[in-house]
Amino acid sequence: MTPLETLESPLEAEVAPSAPVPRHRYAKYLAIFRVSLAERMTYRGDFFLATVFRFLPMVTTILLWQAIYEGAGKMQSEMAGFRYRDMIAYLLLTHISRMFSSMPNLAGGIARDVREGTLKRYLLQPMDMIGYLLAYRVAHKVAYIVTSFIPYALLFFVCRGFFDGLPDPATLAAYALSLVLAFLVGFFFEVSVGMVGFWFLEVTSLLYIVMTVNFFISGQMLPLDLLPEPWAGLLKLLPFQYMAYFPAAVFLGKIQGTSLWLYLLGELLWAVFFMILARVLYRLGLRRYSAFGG
Amino acid sequence: MGILSGIARYLRLLGGLAVYTLNRELAFRGNFLVKVSVEVIWLAILIAFYRVVFARTSTVAGWDEPQYLFFVGCFFALNGLIEMLFLENCNEFAELVRTGDLDGLLLKPIDEQFLITCRRIDWGTAPNVLMGSAVMGIALANAGWQPDLLRIATFLVTFVCGTAIAYGFMLMLTSISVWMVRNQSLMEMWWLFSSLARYPKEIFSGPWAEPLGAFFTYCVPILVVVNVPANAMVRVLDGPMVALTIAATVLLLWASRRFFHYALRSYRSASS
Repeated sequence: MTPLETLESPLEAEVAPSAPVPRHRYAKYLAIFRVSLAERMTYRGDFFLATVFRFLPMVTTILLWQAIYEGAGKMQSEMAGFRYRDMIAYLLLTHISRMFSSMPNLAGGIARDVREGTLKRYLLQPMDMIGYLLAYRVAHKVAYIVTSFIPYALLFFVCRGFFDGLPDPATLAAYALSLVLAFLVGFFFEVSVGMVGFWFLEVTSLLYIVMTVNFFISGQMLPLDLLPEPWAGLLKLLPFQYMAYFPAAVFLGKIQGTSLWLYLLGELLWAVFFMILARVLYRLGLRRYSAFGG
Repeated sequence: MGILSGIARYLRLLGGLAVYTLNRELAFRGNFLVKVSVEVIWLAILIAFYRVVFARTSTVAGWDEPQYLFFVGCFFALNGLIEMLFLENCNEFAELVRTGDLDGLLLKPIDEQFLITCRRIDWGTAPNVLMGSAVMGIALANAGWQPDLLRIATFLVTFVCGTAIAYGFMLMLTSISVWMVRNQSLMEMWWLFSSLARYPKEIFSGPWAEPLGAFFTYCVPILVVVNVPANAMVRVLDGPMVALTIAATVLLLWASRRFFHYALRSYRSASS
């Protein structure tokens, strides 16, 4: 790798082309969405198999929780507000939360663009990097949801006994909103982590640690309500709960009324916070950025 | 005499490979430390999970807290040992087939199964064996366990058998790469395998789960891998299950080697 040049004013390169007619501005992101969608749908067979594989460990999870509830003699009662059926429904629903909030290869990809110098394509073309990544990721998510719809539908049909039916329309609307916001929190969080690449070049190690911790504190292993205080309360203040726990708890009607609105507001604020953080880190990072590579 | 000198030769080779991979690993100390930290965090999460669970119940599938903690430690150590010795090697096999680099390994005057499945040691997962052992030690102390030579001997034998059974399954899965060329599902299958092995087999109770548990104990003996050594140490010393585990080990090692050689015969070199 040879350092080609340090852009005198990288911000100009990024900001200047963003003047054209608004309709064109959004049309190009729509085009990115369409191309990325077509790309992802090519490997739908792979997708389908991977989804099926991901479900199988659910069998042992169901059996383990059954043993836990039986051991506690609470098959007919509750544990921290969760009956046995709620617990399984919750763990199934965290799969849906993660479907929206997980962002494989996003932060690593940004760090790679910085390291290898390929980031300059965003600086030279009339395109905003975060806008491009967002359109690309939405396409990936749409493709994932479409291809995994059948296996998920099958899974939820088989496990329908763990649910009390669909919640009321207002709860469903709040659930849908919480999932969209979960996507945004997950996306901008990972972009922010990726931006650390401007300073450290390699973020894979950091990502490994973040993802491992996230697995527990986002509530993918168990509902945060089961943790003793102050942990449960503390973790509910952090953004990670929105990536798994919160949407699932909303669907199950565990959070209602004013707290539902407060938590949704919290989710929105975290999404905005990470959006601003990602943008600020990007701008600061570009000042340090030297375009490496040929 | 011939056999003994053969064993000594392979042990020497293994030692050489271990030193070589350790030197490679230590060239990237930062990466090594991160790998180890991730494993430490993962163990902490597992323990936190069981602390939360046992705060609300005194037994899970007939296992009390110290017994279950021993099971978790046993799983962590055994899984760590397999990942350390074989997982990375088996995972690279598909790539060797795809690129044709397998030719070079097949030409070497060493047993191909040994060279392919043991040539690299993933030292990043080696501390898992120690951490798992420490958890087992703590669990034994918590349980007020009295030293018992027979139990220790049975544990050690069945722990080695469990590792060998897991290795046999992994070798079979790896061999499929010869036909599939791309075998990205190996890691997924391994995850499935470990998700079955990580729980006590007593959780398989109920009308549909019992036959499933029996299937994974007697037909595809994944459930014996951690269950039998952990049971032998802290619960009942079940003679027939120990015998079954030893028999399954011998059978699987033999069958997986046959299958591996059968797969190699279908290998068509891809290199120029």
